[in-house]
Amino acid sequence: MTIERLIVAFGISAALVATAMPVAGQGGSGAGNRAAETKPWPPDHLPDGQPDVQGIWSAVNGGSTSLTNPISGQADFDRRVTGVEPHVPSRIIDPPDGQVPYQPWAAARQKQQADDYDHPTRPEHIDTQHRCLISGVPRLYYIVPAFKIIQPPGSVVFIWDEYHAYRVIPLDGRPHVGPSLKLWMGDARGHWEGNTLVVDTTNLKGARLTYIGDFHSDKAHVVERLTFVDANTMRYEATIDDPTVFTRPWTMRVAERRRPDAEMWESACYEGNMNADTFLNTETKKQ
Amino acid sequence: MRLRFASFLVLSTLLSSTRTPAAGAAGGGGQAPGATAIPRTPQGKPDLSGIWQVMNTAAWDIQDHPAQKGVPGGQGVVEGNDIPYQPSALAKKKQNYEQRATLDPETKCYLPGVPRITYMPFPFQIIQMPNEVTVLYEYVHAVRYIFTNGTAHPRGHIDWWLGDSRGRWEGDTLVVDLNDFNDATWFDRAGNFHSDALHLVERYTMIDPDHIRYAVTVEDPKVFTKPWNMSMMLYRHRETNFQLLDYECYGFDFEKYYPYPETGAPK
Repeated sequence: MTIERLIVAFGISAALVATAMPVAGQGGSGAGNRAAETKPWPPDHLPDGQPDVQGIWSAVNGGSTSLTNPISGQADFDRRVTGVEPHVPSRIIDPPDGQVPYQPWAAARQKQQADDYDHPTRPEHIDTQHRCLISGVPRLYYIVPAFKIIQPPGSVVFIWDEYHAYRVIPLDGRPHVGPSLKLWMGDARGHWEGNTLVVDTTNLKGARLTYIGDFHSDKAHVVERLTFVDANTMRYEATIDDPTVFTRPWTMRVAERRRPDAEMWESACYEGNMNADTFLNTETKKQ
Repeated sequence: MRLRFASFLVLSTLLSSTRTPAAGAAGGGGQAPGATAIPRTPQGKPDLSGIWQVMNTAAWDIQDHPAQKGVPGGQGVVEGNDIPYQPSALAKKKQNYEQRATLDPETKCYLPGVPRITYMPFPFQIIQMPNEVTVLYEYVHAVRYIFTNGTAHPRGHIDWWLGDSRGRWEGDTLVVDLNDFNDATWFDRAGNFHSDALHLVERYTMIDPDHIRYAVTVEDPKVFTKPWNMSMMLYRHRETNFQLLDYECYGFDFEKYYPYPETGAPK
């Protein structure tokens, strides 16, 4: 059992990540040891009035193992070896108990998916991130890889250092695209409230939020507040409303930090990846 | 590095002495006097920002090709139409064509390489900032950075799907030098291919606010006997509120495993 869990934890993440790692390591987020350059605060304003927050950012404690006990990938590995369960504060700030307010059927499904993640026997037991599928919003804001913010006139653009993922957020108040369009990154519309970027996202596909099977459906509506509190610190909050899965809207918070400016280089993920189904436990499958 | 730079110089000289005047004489190669003013950045450079797409059939075949079922006929985008393959490479191209249904890298949903990604039937968005031109492609959310801050290619060789892009302005033309390609992409669905020695020079020239003349010089001493050129037009999307959507090519096969629109109990 421990060995099996270990193979799952180490095998999938290490083997899959290993293929992408050499390229990713050369990219912008790799320069983690250098201090971020000093940027002015309060921020300069761009010609279109936006506060200038451009640069490279990433979560202080990145990783999407869990939202309620968001331990790092390393800690997740350690607990599987030692059997000692570490506990860190939940990313969820509302409801106050720090739990995802699932409807009963959805809570059961999440628990099943958590068990499946530990004992994968079917293709759907493999987390979407391990298949290099785009993790979408809000998950991309609490993974480890960094993202870059560019602010051309009238929009804010986020580009991730891995998974070739990006989103372009118009600030001109245009309406959302038609409701039948479902998009991996959703359809985002933003506006600035002082130094806070408020983003309203609809048209999302259903998606997994963590390795342990947290999820939302394609009815989700996400409102994000990215509050830049000083030159190097951003507070990311996302409120998810999905009446088909949750009993009430709920909100997560993630601390983000500016990283050193560096060139971001190509990061292929799916290209050349091993088939994740290789890691399915075929012995269990036969039973 | 030095060698590559030398060959680049030779190529540029060749281009500026022969090709550019010819293109200018043919009309539409540069901005004619009296043409509609093009948008410019605060720095005075042509502003290529916007959403663009080709209107041609190069995705199927970059050379002249008659229509087939499911394939619109088209005039090629290769100048002079002939591609100067070395004999063994020409044989491989023919083999690629015969087995294109299984060999074409596009069928595997990998990043499709440059310039192929430019003329696939999907829009892309150019975001031009002073030191960097970023290109966001609707196809697989591909991202390409064209560094225009005077930096050189990194020490290579690096196997990248979309290569390494370093750009500079020659007058009103953005000239992009690309190397560091892998050998796993094709130019089209007709089997035209290259090796990892591929070296490209792209030229983006805005001829009016809504059109960019896009020209590419292709050099690959392992596959071709001499450099050759492609040329086509990029058209600006002017529809109200037009935006990129997505085409997660490899995602389609996996969507069935993650059926979250379905709100029933897990199977």
